Amino acid sequence: MSRMGVFVCWCGANIAENVDCDEVARYAGTLPGVVIARSYKYMCSDPGQKIVTDAIEDLNLTGVVVASCSPRMHEPTFRKAATTVGLNAYMLEMANIREHCSWVHNNRHEATEKAKDLIRILVEKVKRNVPLKEIEVPVTQRVMVIGAGIAGIQAALDVASAGYEVALVERKPSIGGYMSLLDETFPTLDCSQCILTPRMVDVMQSDKITLHSFSEVEQVDGYIGNFKVKIRKKPRSVDMTKCTGCGDCWNNCMARNKITEPVRPALDDGISEDVMIKVDAILERYTDQAGMVIGILQDIQDEFNYLPEEALTYLSRKSDIPLSRLYGVARFYNAFSLTPRGKHIIRVCLGTACHLKGGPRIAEAIAHELGIESGETTEDGLFTLERVNCLGCCALAPVVEVNGTVHAGVTVGKIPSILAQYGYERECIQV
Amino acid sequence: MRTLRKNYSEAADQWEALQTSSVPVLYVGAATCGRAAGAGEVIERLQTEIRDRQIAAQVVEVGCLGLCCLEPLVVVHKPGSPQVCYGRVDTDRIVHILDRYVLGDDPCAEWALGTMTPGEVDSIGKFSEHPMMTGQVRHVLRNCGVIDPKDMSHYLARDGYRGFMKALELGPDKTLKEVKKAGLRGRGGAGFPTWQKWQFCRTASGEPKYVICNADEGDPGAFMDRSIMEGDPYSVLEGMAIGAYVIGAESGYIYVRGEYPLAIRNLSIAIEQSRALGLLGDNILDSGFSFDLEIVRGAGAFVCGEETALIASVQGDIGSPRQRPPYPAQAGLWGKPTNINNVETWSNVPAIILRGGKQFSGIGTKQSKGTKVFSLVGKVRNTGLVEVPMGTTMREIVYDIGGGPQKKRTFKAVQSGGPSGGCIPAPLLDLPIDFDKLQEAGAMMGSGGLIVMDDHTCMVDVAKYFLAFLVDESCGKCTACREGVAQMHNILVRICQGEGRDGDIELLEQLGTYVKDTSLCQLGGTAPNPVLSTLRYFRDEYEAHIHDKTCRAGVCKSLVRFAIDPDTCKGCGLCVRDCPTDAISGEKKEPHHIDADLCVQCGVCYEDCPFDAVLVE
Repeated sequence: MSRMGVFVCWCGANIAENVDCDEVARYAGTLPGVVIARSYKYMCSDPGQKIVTDAIEDLNLTGVVVASCSPRMHEPTFRKAATTVGLNAYMLEMANIREHCSWVHNNRHEATEKAKDLIRILVEKVKRNVPLKEIEVPVTQRVMVIGAGIAGIQAALDVASAGYEVALVERKPSIGGYMSLLDETFPTLDCSQCILTPRMVDVMQSDKITLHSFSEVEQVDGYIGNFKVKIRKKPRSVDMTKCTGCGDCWNNCMARNKITEPVRPALDDGISEDVMIKVDAILERYTDQAGMVIGILQDIQDEFNYLPEEALTYLSRKSDIPLSRLYGVARFYNAFSLTPRGKHIIRVCLGTACHLKGGPRIAEAIAHELGIESGETTEDGLFTLERVNCLGCCALAPVVEVNGTVHAGVTVGKIPSILAQYGYERECIQV
Repeated sequence: MRTLRKNYSEAADQWEALQTSSVPVLYVGAATCGRAAGAGEVIERLQTEIRDRQIAAQVVEVGCLGLCCLEPLVVVHKPGSPQVCYGRVDTDRIVHILDRYVLGDDPCAEWALGTMTPGEVDSIGKFSEHPMMTGQVRHVLRNCGVIDPKDMSHYLARDGYRGFMKALELGPDKTLKEVKKAGLRGRGGAGFPTWQKWQFCRTASGEPKYVICNADEGDPGAFMDRSIMEGDPYSVLEGMAIGAYVIGAESGYIYVRGEYPLAIRNLSIAIEQSRALGLLGDNILDSGFSFDLEIVRGAGAFVCGEETALIASVQGDIGSPRQRPPYPAQAGLWGKPTNINNVETWSNVPAIILRGGKQFSGIGTKQSKGTKVFSLVGKVRNTGLVEVPMGTTMREIVYDIGGGPQKKRTFKAVQSGGPSGGCIPAPLLDLPIDFDKLQEAGAMMGSGGLIVMDDHTCMVDVAKYFLAFLVDESCGKCTACREGVAQMHNILVRICQGEGRDGDIELLEQLGTYVKDTSLCQLGGTAPNPVLSTLRYFRDEYEAHIHDKTCRAGVCKSLVRFAIDPDTCKGCGLCVRDCPTDAISGEKKEPHHIDADLCVQCGVCYEDCPFDAVLVE
């Protein structure tokens, strides 16, 4: 039959501020098996510890729960105290009602209830604890580092310089990892090769480090101090004593080049024939496709009135320019639209001269007249309204361009007649 | 070396034949501005009339003469009479001119702007004495509006490509010396000595080398580059060929704004013709020098005017500037030495080589040589392109050539240099225009856009406008520009809405300094200029917006209420017609009235009223 003791600490105001410690202790006293439950201002102080040790001796306790701070803080304190009066250290456990409870809650009632729960759980746990005996086991003083990137290399070198043996395992044929792919390092823009390569050489020169490159860890067994690891060395088919690392075999290997070829969708997968014919015709005009991305996109936009996803996807497949780059360019420049535009494109100039002469007013009035905002298209698909930062007709400001034709000296009053030239019909308002 | 003697003599004959044509010749200004004003319809009408009525006359489409506010311009050359230039020629007027002058003897003096060649026509003055032409020196614009930009023989007849041939004779060293002697500085804005730029690229190691023409005229309010490309594209090609010869480049690119379709078309034609004549291509005129050109169309990004961003864009990437050095002269296009000059700079070169650097440096000030083309726009009577010697004062440009502010308004400031520039207020009007003088005044030459502002212009709104432009056009690479300018814009929006607070001005100044100091490229480095420059000269307007919640110019909607002065109103009805909310009422010829509940403060009536009867309360 267990005889449990529960000791609730206030930790000054740290716990008592948010947890009703007296109430918690009273509750703990009602738990089955608990023969004593006390609360005290500082349980870790000498008088506090004495309360615990006295209780263990006087009441012949078989288990103790101290409800106070984190076990990282005072578990050793209380366990040491318990052993002085003959209780096995592992029969004492800490319920963390400070870091896990009072410090992180501000509702006193709920925090109190949570503290009760934490204590009840610990009480049940300690009832099931068995006394443990500490023993010493021999430790194999060797270290394995998995991954020989810059971090793994440095760890291996540090351990080796402390005098221990290291097994450094790297999956790839060469060590160095991602850092060997970089030019400069953030934020100081130091030369990354200058940091990495001396360390790579150090690894090879260290007599404490055994390098297992082109190898993978397959299985890890055992426990701290006595691990058993199975490393699979991949077949290199290269005589390492003769290899100079020139890389010729790597570069010229037919098999590798074949295997790493990315899987590409078929050129015409999901692309309509019409789009293919049109894009092909545009591409024929360009010899240097990568350098002329902007020109090609302009031509596609001229053809389709906007940049359809289908056309961009096809262009990307055909020209080997990543789709992300095409979209990057398309989004950067004002001239491109990724959504279909109207039959007539109205561009209101908002250059400085036009701004002074009422350009914004004109833009607003056209928007009001058509019932759309800048960048939108009318429902009937007739007009798209855009703004442009100067058409270079500043002397005739304010100007509006429709389908490439510039209208000069536009006033609010002239707008309906300009729009009418392009088939706009004003809705008649019945008076 | 081949000399094209035959081509020159043919060209001279053709040009002579046109000048001494036995039938009247009508030159119509058909650049973008002319077309915007209706030149297209005029040409159509003219051709219909000539065909239907079988009139013996010839029509020639030319570029822009620069008098944009008087477009469409038509020059009539009758055999035996001097050329007469007419302004605001619409489809009706052209028929009158045909009937009365071309077919009759009445020179329509009421529409004439002046005679352009020696000789007299009844009661018509000289074109060079027209107010808009006084003080102008046509160096860069010498061919604009005079030659047919699609006919290479016109260019050749006017000494075209002779500068290039002279350069081939002189050799690269002496040619570079001429440019140095001329003291030509870059017309794109920064004013860097052109010869030095060429020298850097010439001596840089790396092959091949490239030359680029920056024709991404992004500054809103500037259009001289467009006009040059449309009216005289050959001069740009010739300048580039000379530069390429000096530098040792074999290929070049012209990066043109996508918004300039006509410029692109005329340049393409000019390139084709030059190739056909062997002035572009391999082993030009058997001199051993090869050079060819390609046009790259921009896609609407202001930042691409910055040279490193422009290079990225030519390479087909997003136009994001990069750190300099290395400068393009060392590592530019495809990592090779590259020289970038703007349109006007290139266009200046042929005449410098042909006539000698000394002749060029004879014009202008000590530090700034030659002429500069400005686009004079905004709230001024005469708008258009003006080419004046460096050192001309702002007053001469705005008042003598521009005719001063419109209606009875008062002049407030000139904004120069686009979004990166600044303001020149009335007290500085007598400042001679020169790269360094403008810099001292807190503005910059920029590409040469001069935007005149009057008392109906709110400087806080102007600053807000430019920042909105820059927020839109920032490439987003640097935090300082991307976020800083946006924050400055937010503050200005707040001020314009009447929610300005104490300390806003200081905050703007502080943010502005940060953005200036911490941006990578010049777009960010100059982005706060519109605010800092207007704060320097118009701090009182900012204070009035913040403390008194008033916008004296009547622009900031939230701070303005409009009313009509019954004594001044003539009841013309113009405002009634244009009011978008029908807030104005009144009988014809009776004083009108604004219904304050319906008024949305759009300002149409305020701006349109011919009698300035609309008042700001």
